[in-house]
Amino acid sequence: MSAATATFTPPVAFSNSNNPYNPIWRKPNSLSNPIWTANNSFVSRATSSSSSETDNEKKNKKKKKKVVIDNEEQKQELEPVQEQEQERQLQSSSVSVIKRLDDVNPVGLGRRSRQVFDEVWRKFSGLGQISRTIRSDDESSLLIREGGPMCEFAIPGAQNTTVLVVGATSRVGRIVVRKLMLRGYTVKALVRKAEPEVVDMLPRSVELVTGDVGDPSGLKNAVQGCSKIIYCATARSSITGDLIRVDHQGVYNLTKALQDYNNKLAQQRAGKSSKSKLLIAKFKSEDSLNGWEVRQGTYFQDVVVSKYDGGMDAKFEFTESGEAVFSGYVFTRGGYVDLSRKLSLPLGYTLDRYEGLVFSVGGNGRSYVVILEAGPSADTTQSKLYFARISTKAGFCRVRVPFSSFRPVKPDDPPLDPFLVHTLTIRFEPRRQRPIEGPTGMNQDLRSFQLIMEYIKALPTGQETDFVLVSCTGSGIEPSRREQVLRAKRAGEDSLRRSGLGYTIIRPGPLMEEPGGQRALIFDQGNRISQGISCADVADICVKALHDSTARNKSFDVCYEYVAEPGKELYELVAHLPDKANNYLTPALSVLEKNT
Amino acid sequence: MASTLYAQLATPTNPTSLPCRKLSSLSWRTMFDSALSPSNSPISTTKGKHCSLPKVVCNAQSAPAAVNLAPGTPVRPTSILVVGATGTLGRQIVRRALDEGYDVRCLVRPRPAPADFLRDWGATVVNADLSKPETIPATLVGIHTVIDCATGRPEEPIKTVDWEGKVALIQCAKAMGIQKFIFFSIHNCDKHPEVPLMEIKHCTEKFLRGSGLNHVVIRLCGFMQGLIGQYAVPILEEKSVWGTDAPTRIAYMDTQDIARLTLIALRNENINGKLLTFAGPRAWTTQEVITLCERLAGQDANVTTVPVSVLRFTRQLTRLFEWTSDVADRLAFSEVLTSDTVFSVPMAETYNLLGVDAKDVSSLEKYLQDYFTNILKKLKDLKAQSKQTDIFF
Repeated sequence: MSAATATFTPPVAFSNSNNPYNPIWRKPNSLSNPIWTANNSFVSRATSSSSSETDNEKKNKKKKKKVVIDNEEQKQELEPVQEQEQERQLQSSSVSVIKRLDDVNPVGLGRRSRQVFDEVWRKFSGLGQISRTIRSDDESSLLIREGGPMCEFAIPGAQNTTVLVVGATSRVGRIVVRKLMLRGYTVKALVRKAEPEVVDMLPRSVELVTGDVGDPSGLKNAVQGCSKIIYCATARSSITGDLIRVDHQGVYNLTKALQDYNNKLAQQRAGKSSKSKLLIAKFKSEDSLNGWEVRQGTYFQDVVVSKYDGGMDAKFEFTESGEAVFSGYVFTRGGYVDLSRKLSLPLGYTLDRYEGLVFSVGGNGRSYVVILEAGPSADTTQSKLYFARISTKAGFCRVRVPFSSFRPVKPDDPPLDPFLVHTLTIRFEPRRQRPIEGPTGMNQDLRSFQLIMEYIKALPTGQETDFVLVSCTGSGIEPSRREQVLRAKRAGEDSLRRSGLGYTIIRPGPLMEEPGGQRALIFDQGNRISQGISCADVADICVKALHDSTARNKSFDVCYEYVAEPGKELYELVAHLPDKANNYLTPALSVLEKNT
Repeated sequence: MASTLYAQLATPTNPTSLPCRKLSSLSWRTMFDSALSPSNSPISTTKGKHCSLPKVVCNAQSAPAAVNLAPGTPVRPTSILVVGATGTLGRQIVRRALDEGYDVRCLVRPRPAPADFLRDWGATVVNADLSKPETIPATLVGIHTVIDCATGRPEEPIKTVDWEGKVALIQCAKAMGIQKFIFFSIHNCDKHPEVPLMEIKHCTEKFLRGSGLNHVVIRLCGFMQGLIGQYAVPILEEKSVWGTDAPTRIAYMDTQDIARLTLIALRNENINGKLLTFAGPRAWTTQEVITLCERLAGQDANVTTVPVSVLRFTRQLTRLFEWTSDVADRLAFSEVLTSDTVFSVPMAETYNLLGVDAKDVSSLEKYLQDYFTNILKKLKDLKAQSKQTDIFF
């Protein structure tokens, strides 16, 4: 009856299942020796039948999810066999005579004929039904069908994804957990204490992990086995300590834990996976400096002025302490120094499979311009230049530059295609340098620089987001504490952006407890929204964002649709109504800025 | 509780209350008899069929202000109770409601194998039994809306759950100040009083209307999910498929669509107290469905056609005896089947009312096609797998 049934029964078995006396099941009995002989034959029979029974069990396991009716029949068939065996072992020949007569046993015959009649009658009376389903199915088989592709909630990637929900008991988190469960994800929930009311609130098959986001040591266990995190925890009070612990430090700790876990997996995959970074340059020996050229230049061709200023100088050298240092000074107005190299990627690797560069550098905290030259490598005259500014800190740091943040030098050129990049240049120019804070901040000369290079790597593209953070826009918070709350939230967002994980930061308007999917939503960037939004809609966005490549590395505000006051229409309203099977998220997010 | 329920047979035209009668002592057979006998002044419908309106005195009606008097914190509008949550329709409603952010409580009967899947989806499960009215009130605490999609199991007498249970539920809902009650009924139930289940549904509709609860009645035609077990699986398994030669057409509908529309209706304040009918895009006869399944499965069905007259005859026969009356009840739809009825309604107005696009409602062809594509693919995979294991061994 149950539909799923058919799913798991190989069609070969169908021909058998038509017959209530499945030949497989009859064999043990029909093969059985006559038992009115001596004891030893008993033994042999018992073993033979028990072996056939294990055989039966095997069969049974194989067809675990078989048609229920068949199952029942089999069980009923199985029971007599077991009974027979017990009887056989306990009692003597008088029983065996009955055994032999089993085939014509009126009880057995009656049972079978009743089964046949029941089946026929069930079907017959089923004809008299209109809008009722005959429910002789078991729950599990139906579930399998409904969890399968027939179900409107099913998501292809859900089966292999484990999601850690942080703040699973919060207003948004509760719904997030349910939505994930409905879609077939494996869900872990991080809770502070496994109290009965907390446990009751969450579905039973959610794996509970106790831990506090403020305590990094406990989070290692929480991220174990997780590929994605949805963070909807928020501080319970607006005490600064609480805010920093949950909204800032908590996000930082979790990103770190997940990144550590990913790195561990990446090491196990031995660097060959598409998830590991591609080494472009590593400066660990004298030889590694080969191929890098230092050049000088000026933006103005003002020969007269350059005669009188201090000129410029730069060198790239491997120091005795084992560091590759690019250092020098530029006193010329409009002058710059370049460190550049033609890229030589390992065979079979192209940069279009990566989404950005990461520089591990140290130095005195100047900002630099990274210039990529792209074009057909055979003909350098057709190369186009793309630039992005990076700023470093005093001391060592890692700087990520996504390819999407490179702008063409000539505004008319097409956007950067990483596939065509052939030359990488790091340029220092004294313009737009900011003095670094600190005791030496006052008397430093902004025209001199020192850059210690450790490595340059390409960051692999992820298709999807790894970390969904529910932040807030700040509206709806009491004004006296808004500053502090927002500061902590922003700090948390920043630590997520810097983490190197694929992120989605959702900043909803004030949350409302009402059913979702009723009103059109506005997705926007730039803190301009004014409306609230239902918790269920926020949860829906979280869940949809997990597998949406347009959601990766984006921050956006979201609220209900509203009509802007006249004169204040700053932007075109793009409203999206969440509805059945329509993916409103992709079109909504594709127009928004990346890496925000 | 059953002993405190009194049934009154009354008519709108004849408001004088008739002597109260204990419902528990009232079997449907006797109700029909009494309805047919002129002394009890039955309602004569235009079709000349007889319909009895049992009016049950609702205890809570003595305190109509119960809603306002209810002490304590106000209930959240997102809290709903689904009765019959393990059923074909019920589970879809639970899923849909959970997905839309409702807090869903499910009323299920205590059973040895608990309905864990509901808990896994995030619903709260409470044990109660409509046929034991004393278990009901506790489940209604803190509930804003009740969605009732329960029916009795085929093997149990139709009256216990579908009538007595429902009456108890509605009375409790009234007494506990439930703010909305959604009841699922059967299409055309007012036209076929000879079918016990339809008669009960119709009477429950009337009872609900009379109770003063804020309610929506939704009448349904047929579920596509039911066809899978009835036709699709037997065809795939090369078993015989039983069908009738009835000309009745039914507009089957996907329960997922029903659930979606129901929740839209639930939120729409404009349709309170209204009667909606949900029907699928097209009405199908049994023969058409079987042909469609054969085409999609790519194999011929072994069809056993039972003439409706046989069904009808069996029903008449079984009605003769007290001990087969349940069987007769189950066969009662044959009466409907013999008529040339079309179980369908034009949906344009309903779609309009709910603000739904007709294109979003799935058709039977599409539904069955999906089913067969998926199942045949899975069977193929299984075949490949079994081959592999053979080599392995």
